[in-house]
Amino acid sequence: MRKKMLLWGGLLAFSVSLAAAQSAHDENVLVLQGARILPITAPPIAQGVLVIKGGKIVAVGEAGKVQIPAGARIQDATGKVIMPGIVDSHSHIGIDGNPTVSDSQDANEGSGPIQPGLRALDAIDPADPNIRMATSGGITTANIMPGSGNVMGGQTAYVKLRGSTMEQMLIPGTLGGMKMANGTNPKGYGSRGQAPMTRMEEAALARGIYVKAQQYKDKWDAYAKAVAAKDKNAKEPDHDLGLDAVVQVLDGKRVVHNHTHRADDVMTVLRLADEFHYRVVVHHGTESCEVADELAKRHIGVSFTMIDSPGGKPETINFSISCPARLEKAGVKVAFNTDDPITNSRLLLRSAALGVRGGMSEDAAMKGLTIYPAEMLDLQSRVGSLEVGKDADFIVLSGAPLSVYTHVIETWIEGEKVFDRNNPADLRYATGGFDVVGRYPQQTGGAQ
Amino acid sequence: MSLRFLQCALLVTVAFPFSLGAQNIAVVAEHLYTMDAGPQGGPGMVLIRDGKIEETRQGANMQPPDGFQVIHGAYVTPGLVDADTTAGVAGAYNIPADQDQDEATDPNTADVSVRDSLNPEDKLYQFVNTYGVTTLQVTPGPANPIAGRAGIFKSAGPLSPFRTADQLIVRLNSGMVFNLGESPKQTYGASHKAPVTRMKTAEMIRDALLQAAQYQDKWDKWKREGSDLSKQPTIEAKSAALADVVTGKTPAIFNVYRADDIDTAIRIGTEFHLKYMLASVTEGYLIRDKIKQAGVPCLVGAVMQPVESMETANATYENAALLQQAGIPVAIMTGYVAYVPKSRVLLFEAAIAAANGLGLEGALRAITISPAKILGIDDRVGSLSKGKDADVVVFDGDPFEYTSHVEQVMVQGTVTYRKP
Repeated sequence: MRKKMLLWGGLLAFSVSLAAAQSAHDENVLVLQGARILPITAPPIAQGVLVIKGGKIVAVGEAGKVQIPAGARIQDATGKVIMPGIVDSHSHIGIDGNPTVSDSQDANEGSGPIQPGLRALDAIDPADPNIRMATSGGITTANIMPGSGNVMGGQTAYVKLRGSTMEQMLIPGTLGGMKMANGTNPKGYGSRGQAPMTRMEEAALARGIYVKAQQYKDKWDAYAKAVAAKDKNAKEPDHDLGLDAVVQVLDGKRVVHNHTHRADDVMTVLRLADEFHYRVVVHHGTESCEVADELAKRHIGVSFTMIDSPGGKPETINFSISCPARLEKAGVKVAFNTDDPITNSRLLLRSAALGVRGGMSEDAAMKGLTIYPAEMLDLQSRVGSLEVGKDADFIVLSGAPLSVYTHVIETWIEGEKVFDRNNPADLRYATGGFDVVGRYPQQTGGAQ
Repeated sequence: MSLRFLQCALLVTVAFPFSLGAQNIAVVAEHLYTMDAGPQGGPGMVLIRDGKIEETRQGANMQPPDGFQVIHGAYVTPGLVDADTTAGVAGAYNIPADQDQDEATDPNTADVSVRDSLNPEDKLYQFVNTYGVTTLQVTPGPANPIAGRAGIFKSAGPLSPFRTADQLIVRLNSGMVFNLGESPKQTYGASHKAPVTRMKTAEMIRDALLQAAQYQDKWDKWKREGSDLSKQPTIEAKSAALADVVTGKTPAIFNVYRADDIDTAIRIGTEFHLKYMLASVTEGYLIRDKIKQAGVPCLVGAVMQPVESMETANATYENAALLQQAGIPVAIMTGYVAYVPKSRVLLFEAAIAAANGLGLEGALRAITISPAKILGIDDRVGSLSKGKDADVVVFDGDPFEYTSHVEQVMVQGTVTYRKP
């Protein structure tokens, strides 16, 4: 036993000295230089240097002003653009899989409209090709959510798009959010003669679960108090998986991500959040610009889905690409989401570009891909900008981020490259055709 | 009754010349894409008189002739042509009240025509005009193996107060739509009706074409033998419609995704000596040599929409470029969308093709002159050439850049959209 411990101790000492040696050589330091760098929370750097170590950003700045450690691996990125990895605040990759056959669709538990005990993480397939497609579009962090078929759809998962298990994907220390929905989709139960059949009932069901959770919380608080007071008769209440999660919402530990389109539905979302004092992000928000002032005064952001055309259902009939611009003008923070598969994860940069087409400032549009969604997920201390101490999540682009002609060349998560357009296998996730690489014509126009 | 008819007819004839009487317009462009045989992308000017292109001139600092209203634009292109879309028949709200694209009660609905479903007041139909589409081939939806007859229409026009499909017609019965693959199976197979398999879909189409050929023979024989009214064959609407396909009067449009379904379409097209084209063609790039050999033009489907089926899982952004490189005539189409967003935007789909191998000019070709030629309407639309309809789009930047805007859209010399 003692011998064994000694051995372990020796090993430990050896590995510590190895780490020290490495840091002296700085072999595990990566430097990208020459690119135009967009830190997002600081002005663009025309000739930038980005220094990465241990999966974190250790320096970012202008060429000549950043010290490059001797022995560091240097990657020339001249002519390229580097920006933070994109944060998708609303996605269904891995849970609504590719291809779309019933076996791969696990986002909507259509057996009842209130499902707070469900966890998206129990249904996400890390091997879903949609995840690799998302990295080819520059997405590094995602909020993967249950669907919008239920009033309360379940717990969402905050993940990095890497790894082969959920444990590797989940961002340590995060609980995830709580998915809610109102308007058309949860009314799907109505066609089966079940509740909810109306928007009234949707709101009543939501109110019901929060009232129940409040009572549950009160019981636990009373128990904790009794235990603290050394009350021998204190009886532990029964646990409830779903209510535990809803209490986390009431405690502000879990943000509600609320699918909603019509302006009156957005107001219902605000009414419930006001009533139960929980934190909420408005998702889709097709008509949210009609009540922008109400959102602004509550400091509630919108995670906007940029679809191509109005309609597809009545509540999206007033869709306009100028909605994000109107929200920006009212002082509402707007993030762009994919709602993958509704819009494809390879095209999230495009959604922000269409926001600019609709009148938004380029600055707000870029923040809407990075720091704003990071804030909506409480991840702004880790991701969403290129700052010292943050995760080394970044993408290398062939040109201006909002141009159609620009391609994502590389995607990096915590210092590891997860997508490389120059790798033929990776390229087919960007273009499509990854399942038929062997038959894909050699002569291609898309590879740069 | 006849008086009212007369009044209506009078109103129409009065209203038409009134609105057609658009001014003479000179469109001065920094980058003019006429999409005719001449040079592309240089400065130039388009002169419009009475709704037609009078002349195009290349060169900078053009002086517009007197009496012409002048419009300046950064990029000027012909009105865009969507080679295959359900806009106008599959309404924006996507509720039973406005879905008129799929008569899913009979696998063979050869006798229906989109003309009788088209609602030019539909929000999506008007929406596509704001993104530069001026001409569309409107098709029935994906449900039936034999879905019915397509028609080519303007998206808007020099309209009288009555906006009707008839006023927008470029050509009726422009194609007969045949759907292969998953969709017909899903439509009927779930309730154990034919077709349940791809075999049956192919058989039903071959059988209907065979019957139509025999029907045509009967009528030909009757005409040859003196058209004796007492011996006139029975009129059968479906066979009559399909007879036009068999004789080549109406082109067949095979809506296909998987490579083997494309192969089936070519097999049927060859067997019946059809004049035909392929639509959607998702896996076309995997059998492009076969398509090239068959000499079939391709209407390449949208690649940005969700992978809603197994048969579109291998969609690639490079499909249009790969087919075009193989020497196949290529147009880009938007097709049918089942859910949100209810319509693809032709300009955006072409933008993806532009950025994935086709380039600006190639992608522009695939939504202007190329579809016009494939559909046989290049005498009227598809390029800014003398004598064609003055369908013009003015952009404030590269048409395919996401941050550019459509500033004005003109149909037959009338401005139908102006950026607010």
